[in-house]
Amino acid sequence: MIITIVIWIIQLLFVPLASPLCIGIIRKIKARFQNRQGASVFQPYFDLWKLLHKDEVISKDASWIFEFAPYIVFTSTLVVGMSIPLVAGFINNNAGDMLVIICTLSIGTFFLALAGIDTGSGFGGFGASREMTMAALAEGGFIFSLLTMAVINNTTNLFMISQHGTVVHSQFFLSTMLAFFGFIIVMLAETARFPFDNPATHLELTMIHEAMILEYSGKKLALMEWASANKLLIFFALGSNLFFPVGIAQTPTFWGLGIGIAALAIKILLFCLAIAILESSVAKFRFFRLPDLLLISFIVNVVAIILIF
Amino acid sequence: MTTEHIQSYLPKNTKAEISGNIAFFPVPTSLIKEVAIELYQAKNLKLKLITATDQRETGEGFKIWYVFSVPKEHIFIVPFIQLKDSQEFPSLTPVIHSAYNHERKIHTFFGLTPNGHPDLRPIILHENWPNNAFPLRKDFNWKTKPAKTHTPYQFQKVEGEGIYEIPVGPIHAGIIEPGHFRFSVAGEEIMLLEARLGFVHKGIEKLLEILPLTDKVRLSEKISGDSSLSHSMAFCQALENLGDIMVPKRALYLRVMYAELERLANHFGDIGAIMIDTGFNFGGSQGARLREIIMQINERLTKSRFLRGINIIGGVTKDISPKEREALLKDLEKITKDFSEVITIAENSMSLLNRLKGTGVILQTLAKDYGASGIAAKATGIAADARVDYPYAAYSDLGFNEIETEPDGDVYGRFRVRIKEVYASIDIIKNVLQKLPKGPINADAHHIALKKNTFAISIVEGWRGQIVYAIFTDSLGNISRVAPCDPSFLNWPLVGEAGPGNVVPDFPLINKSFNLSYSGNDL
Repeated sequence: MIITIVIWIIQLLFVPLASPLCIGIIRKIKARFQNRQGASVFQPYFDLWKLLHKDEVISKDASWIFEFAPYIVFTSTLVVGMSIPLVAGFINNNAGDMLVIICTLSIGTFFLALAGIDTGSGFGGFGASREMTMAALAEGGFIFSLLTMAVINNTTNLFMISQHGTVVHSQFFLSTMLAFFGFIIVMLAETARFPFDNPATHLELTMIHEAMILEYSGKKLALMEWASANKLLIFFALGSNLFFPVGIAQTPTFWGLGIGIAALAIKILLFCLAIAILESSVAKFRFFRLPDLLLISFIVNVVAIILIF
Repeated sequence: MTTEHIQSYLPKNTKAEISGNIAFFPVPTSLIKEVAIELYQAKNLKLKLITATDQRETGEGFKIWYVFSVPKEHIFIVPFIQLKDSQEFPSLTPVIHSAYNHERKIHTFFGLTPNGHPDLRPIILHENWPNNAFPLRKDFNWKTKPAKTHTPYQFQKVEGEGIYEIPVGPIHAGIIEPGHFRFSVAGEEIMLLEARLGFVHKGIEKLLEILPLTDKVRLSEKISGDSSLSHSMAFCQALENLGDIMVPKRALYLRVMYAELERLANHFGDIGAIMIDTGFNFGGSQGARLREIIMQINERLTKSRFLRGINIIGGVTKDISPKEREALLKDLEKITKDFSEVITIAENSMSLLNRLKGTGVILQTLAKDYGASGIAAKATGIAADARVDYPYAAYSDLGFNEIETEPDGDVYGRFRVRIKEVYASIDIIKNVLQKLPKGPINADAHHIALKKNTFAISIVEGWRGQIVYAIFTDSLGNISRVAPCDPSFLNWPLVGEAGPGNVVPDFPLINKSFNLSYSGNDL
């Protein structure tokens, strides 16, 4: 009983509370790669705190969409954050269905893009247009990579998938790896990281995600920033627990739960490190090469599914 | 330089007044087009500057000067026309395209109309500036505060289905100068790009007529902050020319050293900035780091990170001690090794090269037609460099004669030219430090008497390109007009030409690969 309560508290709070730390860690590692000291890993928390205490400037041309989009975008990440397997695979969570997750995330993206267009600024407009181009192409890869895992495990429930521990099914090893590869490409596109987008740039004309939230300030900007951090952590957690569910608690014991938490932390740190290395060592791709990359993700995932049979 | 030699470049039966390396002669207004075409096409001279002077006070009306130069020989052939009764003159733009912005500027600032010019919209002065106030006329008091007029500015329009405009700036997200860019795009592809500059117009040309002489030199350093030394050097050289001042040898060598340090700092900064605009963060931070090393060397040597207050009329103010000389040589060794390592990593990054190659291509003919200079021109294969073509300071003594070029005219070309010039600059500085002659570092030039009723031209190869100064004196030997021309003024239209055909997200990279000065353009 207590264990279930603890797990549910983790399910509810882990993503929003830990996501700024992930951003901080990635930034810190990147700074070290550039021979810089870098800000503290807790800086994103301070930034959110600062933004939450600031006044907002809202364009007089903005409609209700602009006002409400941050809440919808943020809430969608909260809902997804509690509906995915984090430290325990055994709990019964019907919200954790593959398609529900993908669609909930899409609602967030949809409103993000709408909010970008809403103020009528040039940057928001092309940010939204680029985001929709990316999102439409990434969707296929995303669905198919999760579908690969669903087919292998005969279930679309993410908790069930993580419980089965796919990697040990050695005959599906290749499929799993291919699906993981496809997933990584989608993850980079969906979370606005290299080589798709540069989260650290100040050049409006090159932005995708940042261009859409350019008009936001103060509290709403905080929600938008927080939501994108949440999304990053959600993808990290999905990547860790669906493809490599090693260590995730399978039985309701505190010992198992402890291992589950430690395993998740280590896997997320590895993701942070990988992203930081990637962003320090390559340049961003030209915009028109990005659809090719997403198409690769889709094809790889289709191959992964075919290989299952 | 023999008079006969200069005569060979002049049109037949022309009697020119020769002052130093300048030959100037009046041409009837109706003939200027023919004369200019002959000089430009038949004699293959370069058009460096077109500018006007207001000499109505002495009854000479307006004069328009066409400065042509002979590369390698360092001679200037300057026909001029006199406008006594009329305020119109024939435009050269239809035949010599690089006259385009020069003539627009004369139209805006002097109110003289180039007949046949395709584009007479005001340049630099903005919507609020009245149509009938011409700031460079002598009867315009520099303290005048003109009334606000709100005349709308017509951007060029592209029409068609799916074309939309993106206005960018004048305020940008980064800490850069202000400028407005109007993109007409179809999807992500740029159809037309028009830059609207002039947001940092400071009235420098007017002030250069008014301020006391030493302040003029200080002001020239502020024309474009990153080229402080090159600008003041060009200005001082022209004044030294006018005042017949012999600059000591040591000062000439030191000027070369400081100029190359300035080039190094800016090239390092730009090489890094180009990489960071592609998102290649490693290279970006290394560029910034290397630039900072040079800035600190500058500060150590001169107490000024931007090398300000170094050039004075007759020489320089800061010497280098034997101890500092040794330290600098050691630093340069370290920097060369450091830089080579960074470049090796950059040149091995496929993703970086993919972004740089083929982006923002400028054809050589285009660069020639616009009269581009410096990195923008060298990257299209044009071997033009003022250090070789119009040798000044100690460059010819040092035997500097190699111009670094690249064939392709893309962002990668401009990136490579900078890399090659970095190595060349380091060699020049080492060379200076080895050959540095002993002696004073400036001529005693407290009482300067400038030649009367004449003018001087000086060209300096700043890190961006050729900085041209023309200084005119009146019958009392006072400076009556200074016409500085930063390379940015001629290179900006190239940025507009480099845009179309590329996608919008590549524009910041293209712009950075030119890295032109807004302030130097707006004056």
